[in-house]
Amino acid sequence: MNYDMISIREKIGEILCEFGENDSRIYVLDSDLAKSTTSAKFRDKYPDRFVETGIAETSAMSIASGIASEGQIPFYVNFAMFVSGTAWTQLRQAAYANLNVKMIATHPGMDDGPDGASHHANEDIALVRTLPNVKVLIPSNIKELKQAIKMAIECQGPVYIRAARDVVPNVELEQDAHMGKSIVVEDDGNDFALIYEGTATAIAYEGFEALKEKGYKGKLINLFSVKPMDKEFIKSLASTVKGIVTVENHSVLGGIGGAIAEILAQESQHAKLAYVGVPDVFTESGKSADVKAKYGLNVQNIIEKVESVMN
Amino acid sequence: MIDVKHLELLANENRKKIVQMIYKAKAGHPGGSLSVIDMLTAIYEMDVDFHSEKRSKVVLSKGHAVPAQYAVLCSKGIIKEEDLGTFRQVNSRLQGHPHALDIPEVDATTGLLGQGLSVAVGMAIVKKHNHENNHVYAILGDGEMQEGQIWESLLQAAHYKLDNLIVIVDYNKLSSSGPVNEVINLEPLAEKLKAFNFHTIEINGNNMQEVVDALNKAYTLTGMPIAIISNTIKGKGVSFMENNPKWHSGALLDEEYETAMNDLNRAKEEIQ
Repeated sequence: MNYDMISIREKIGEILCEFGENDSRIYVLDSDLAKSTTSAKFRDKYPDRFVETGIAETSAMSIASGIASEGQIPFYVNFAMFVSGTAWTQLRQAAYANLNVKMIATHPGMDDGPDGASHHANEDIALVRTLPNVKVLIPSNIKELKQAIKMAIECQGPVYIRAARDVVPNVELEQDAHMGKSIVVEDDGNDFALIYEGTATAIAYEGFEALKEKGYKGKLINLFSVKPMDKEFIKSLASTVKGIVTVENHSVLGGIGGAIAEILAQESQHAKLAYVGVPDVFTESGKSADVKAKYGLNVQNIIEKVESVMN
Repeated sequence: MIDVKHLELLANENRKKIVQMIYKAKAGHPGGSLSVIDMLTAIYEMDVDFHSEKRSKVVLSKGHAVPAQYAVLCSKGIIKEEDLGTFRQVNSRLQGHPHALDIPEVDATTGLLGQGLSVAVGMAIVKKHNHENNHVYAILGDGEMQEGQIWESLLQAAHYKLDNLIVIVDYNKLSSSGPVNEVINLEPLAEKLKAFNFHTIEINGNNMQEVVDALNKAYTLTGMPIAIISNTIKGKGVSFMENNPKWHSGALLDEEYETAMNDLNRAKEEIQ
């Protein structure tokens, strides 16, 4: 595969402006990071529907609940650490009321490499996917980001969109993304399935290419919809391939690997499962590529895990 | 013209409902429900029209006082009287803390202290944007003022000059452990709210005339959000509960229930 790299984050503000133009219900909230998240573009175009909360993430999430209670569609755009972690009980209350609160969580996993472990959101999938009513979507490219935002607008209830800050392959898949569905990116055979979440797309592609070069024939799956997850698809995959490896820019605890394990553990027979992700440790500062490589997201680890589940 | 005596009688009836609900449920928070009921009764009677699509909203941020809200909604015909006995029981829509999915007329799902004022700020932002001519009320507990999120939302409410937002502090001076200002001192509270750029009004919140006057005054104020420090008595109206932190939460024995109802029946006669 030949491709250049692009940052999903850079398009967030632009896409919100596109949807905001024809839908006056759309509000955008920010907690003093509008430039980093690019929501500043919405602020400049629709200042009346842009709510700057200051550095007050818990209150921001509850304000979003209030805006949703009035029939509007608020998007709280902020770093994944703050949206999922700092404001977790506020999100939980929004979910309890099934309010139309939408979140775009930037800088997920180790995407904010140099800032260090304090800022690495390696637990956000675990935090949000355990909440009833919350839908969790992870786009792997710009087209899917736009589709995810559209899905968020069109469905009732809270939606958490995990949007990479780091670059991802600038590949536009033929298939459209759908709520509750995964995307088969490549299907060369049944040796293995490599299932990745959108913010780990780059390393998943690299790993898949390396496995190809070694002569293995497997499937490359873009999970996209973490919740609701396409359980039947995961089950059928587990009865088709020799082994499954999940790749995530997240802890191996409670993330997409954990979610898939929860499904497969209830099946009497299924393919072996292994996880590529951050082990149960805190990370450190560094270029995001370096930090990711050190903490599990590297081609060698993917090859080892795939080989371990095939045998 | 507001009939203050009518409101006093209604609040007294609501007090009975609070006591009955908690007696039947063998659990709940009588003290803070009884302290806030005069204010809550007045707000719903004066400013909440359930027949209007664009109406004033009430966020009971001190969600543990939900028996007060259920009592008022019952008086408004939204909750059936026989359903009050299901409070806090399995299969009831009368949850232990307000849940808007169960009762849509409950304007906000609360219960985790500190969050409701922010929710009210969000509502007020939209209403102001849409030029609605109504209000958003955030009913806070005094102990709740110790939550950090409250001060975030006070800053935000003032920043956005939300003069359609009326914050009520039900200042009954007691929280779960005892005197709230011994737990963590809030004083000088009025000065703090003034310094945060709120129109600040202090009243006896168990005096219906003062409650009505304060609300009417609040409706005339512009340019800044409004805070009413409503000085109240925890457990107001039930002799053995008044000013007793023990009645922050708890169940009533049969004889306690009888005493409470006798107190409230006597109060009714006194009002009449």
